[in-house]
Amino acid sequence: MHRAPRLAGLNAERDRIIDEVTSRVVSARVRKSRAGGDASLEYALNEAAYHEILRLEKDPSAAAKRRALAWHKLSNRLARMTEATARESLTDLVRELACDVAGNFNHRVYRVANDVLPPALSLLFSPLGSLRGGLSALEGMRSRIVTVGPLAAIRAAAERGTLIVTPTHSSNLDSVVLGFGLSRSGLPPVTYGAGKNLFSNPFLGFFMHNLGAYRVDRRLKFGLYKDVLKEYSTVLLERGYHSLFFPGGTRCRSNQVERHLQLGLLGTGLAALENGLRSGQAVRPIYVVPVTINYRLVLEAETLIDDHLAEIGKSRYIIEDDEASRLGRIVEFSRKIIAHEGAVVLRLGQPMDVFGNLTDDDGASIDHRGRPVDPATYLRGADGTIARDPQRDTEYTRILGRALGAAYLRQTVLMSPHLLARAMFEAICDQAGTRDIYRLLRMPESGTHVPFASVLSGIDGVRRAVAENPAWGELSDSVRGAAAEDVADDAIRALSTYHTREIVRRRGRDLTCPDLKLLFYYQNRTDHIPAEALA
Amino acid sequence: MSESRGDTVGIAGAGAFGTALANMVAGAGRDAVLWSTDENVVAEINESHRSESRLPGITLSPRVSAVADPGELCRRARLIVVAVASGQLVTRARLLGEVCDGDTLFVHAIGALTEPGQRRGSSPTGGALPSEILVAETPALRIGALAGPALPDELCRGRYASMVCASPFAEVTAETRRLCGAPPVLRIYEGSDLAGVELSAALAGAYTIALGIADALEVGPVPRAVLVTRAVAEGARVVEAAGGDKKTFFGLAGLGNLLVRGPGSAPAGATSETAPGSRDYRLGRDLGGGAQPSVSTEGARAAVALIRVAAKVGVRAPVLAAVAAVVTGELSPEDAAAAAADTVAAAE
Repeated sequence: MHRAPRLAGLNAERDRIIDEVTSRVVSARVRKSRAGGDASLEYALNEAAYHEILRLEKDPSAAAKRRALAWHKLSNRLARMTEATARESLTDLVRELACDVAGNFNHRVYRVANDVLPPALSLLFSPLGSLRGGLSALEGMRSRIVTVGPLAAIRAAAERGTLIVTPTHSSNLDSVVLGFGLSRSGLPPVTYGAGKNLFSNPFLGFFMHNLGAYRVDRRLKFGLYKDVLKEYSTVLLERGYHSLFFPGGTRCRSNQVERHLQLGLLGTGLAALENGLRSGQAVRPIYVVPVTINYRLVLEAETLIDDHLAEIGKSRYIIEDDEASRLGRIVEFSRKIIAHEGAVVLRLGQPMDVFGNLTDDDGASIDHRGRPVDPATYLRGADGTIARDPQRDTEYTRILGRALGAAYLRQTVLMSPHLLARAMFEAICDQAGTRDIYRLLRMPESGTHVPFASVLSGIDGVRRAVAENPAWGELSDSVRGAAAEDVADDAIRALSTYHTREIVRRRGRDLTCPDLKLLFYYQNRTDHIPAEALA
Repeated sequence: MSESRGDTVGIAGAGAFGTALANMVAGAGRDAVLWSTDENVVAEINESHRSESRLPGITLSPRVSAVADPGELCRRARLIVVAVASGQLVTRARLLGEVCDGDTLFVHAIGALTEPGQRRGSSPTGGALPSEILVAETPALRIGALAGPALPDELCRGRYASMVCASPFAEVTAETRRLCGAPPVLRIYEGSDLAGVELSAALAGAYTIALGIADALEVGPVPRAVLVTRAVAEGARVVEAAGGDKKTFFGLAGLGNLLVRGPGSAPAGATSETAPGSRDYRLGRDLGGGAQPSVSTEGARAAVALIRVAAKVGVRAPVLAAVAAVVTGELSPEDAAAAAADTVAAAE
């Protein structure tokens, strides 16, 4: 019999969570406002009004006009507001934001999604009308998504404490694949922040709304909204709701292993631990679980690399017209996944504490030399009590970010397309005498002709470098012991069939690359391995 | 009356600097506990309030005590200044790591990097910075560095000195300033560029050897001025490329240390223990005078380690390369000076 997951309690607690978030955000703002100036309540409300009016004035809809008018009214009243009125307005606004953010969980929907209709989760990004075609193509995903790592330790950590699952982010399929992999590994469902735009799709919105996701409106730029989001996440963690953050923020455009992580939500784990310790009650430990999602092929590779290489693309946060928005591409992609055993490898790492220390199988934090350390000691001040220090906590979260970045590198699972792409890219660079991607892209295709033999030797070089340096990643089972030629053939097949543009073509004893951008995208997965190490 | 743990300064290492710092802290009205692995030194400090081998002729404050047990040190002090030779750091840090917890604040006063090849790491410095070793060997995360022109003998005589304490944790620099600062004798400035301060202090030691060599070779005031100028520019480049702020080298840890370690930095009657900053200069003078190559000082060890760092981060460092070549015997002082001058002239 199924035991209800922790998330099943979310609906019953929803109102209390909203109250708690509202009360904390308002109290913190009121406390800060005593310093006056930029910290005043009027300033906080005015900042929200300013950003919202700017945003809403660009929206021609009647609803936006009504909202803009309401903000104008608030803005006009600010100068005449008493402290009490300002506090009241702040409370109303924060409560409204918290209600908008707060998620919902329906255990029956979860059961259906996981036990009866697992592949339905795979259609989160599909329109309702195409359910039947999608399902038949996606049925086989069950055996193609491989989850590896210290699963028993993570399951035990989930029983003992609260998990923060922190995956890499390459594709819009990530949350689908991850949800599927976690569930199949006996791990509990997690709550996560999802773009509010995704909730508007009736099919997608239904699942998101019922599986604990909370709404993140990326259009709201003012500080109060960020406070609400962080506090909501903190309260959920304090109450033992397992959570998921993508520390990379958005999908990685380059396909490099993510190293520059966003710390905002990541810091809420520490805040939750600190609040728990200050409360004086028994504290559930918080565990951060690094996860790499390793695809043989990436659904949106073409759009992502175009975006990475285009200067203008660097500022695009949400892409709405990529492969993930087209059902045909998803189905085609899924067929390719089905055709390859272990096409997606979810590599879970040993849980860490919120300071970046690894934990042992009993869930105790250990330092670099394997000695136990009590996480609470990191928060003690000179008088031995748990001290609040935001600057210190930001620095701790940076340390956690670096530990996660190192874990991502270690846990990167390299498959045949990555090995072939790197080996071929190196051969092309050697031949062209440059590693400048923009110069390489201007070359005619003839400049990419390289001897197959040199690529095979390059594949061996990458495998040797990775085997000798576990910090750089690990080889997938399928490439570890295979002959270099088999690895290359497998990769050529994969790279030449799914994408609209052929990436690698074999011509007698040579290889050629009709699409250097995509080759660059796939080779970027090993970009952290220096070229000198491949010789 | 003994102070609480949070108000006591622990000092790992009872050498000249550590003992002088402890005495100055005690003089400012706080308790200071020294940790020495030498039982005789511990007994001498506790029983006669002296440390003749380290600070001859100085009577220490009764608020200075010594322990031989690192566990005792960690029980009595939350802030611990690590003032040991770089070659001892790994061993000492490992011992401290066995007994300290996450609430300990470590601030080191080591102007060198660890021996090349001893560490491996993904940072530009390959895990050789003292702060990286403290993180690797202990559970502590709140780490800082203390550096600048403060000579033990000067501190004991109550002469003006300044140091900079750098840490990404504002709490560490604030606590160091609160507990170790003793204006007007010792003013401690705060910064956040930990790697910059560590690299600057190490580079200053290496360049001090270059100064000693130049003086032994009697190059004259103009080439000497050029050497100092180029060393400062080079040091800033290395610091920046290795992850610090280049301006840090122009401050107390870099230029400040370089100026104090040159000729005249050793007071009359000072021994090598009482004027550690001048050991690098004397090594340079000895090498310039024909002595056997030797990697025997912090500056020499720093030069050998830093030349690898410079190569790793792709920075030209002809002065540093010349120092490393002389201390390891790869080049004679004359050839190294000529090579450095040629390289500088050709490249700049």
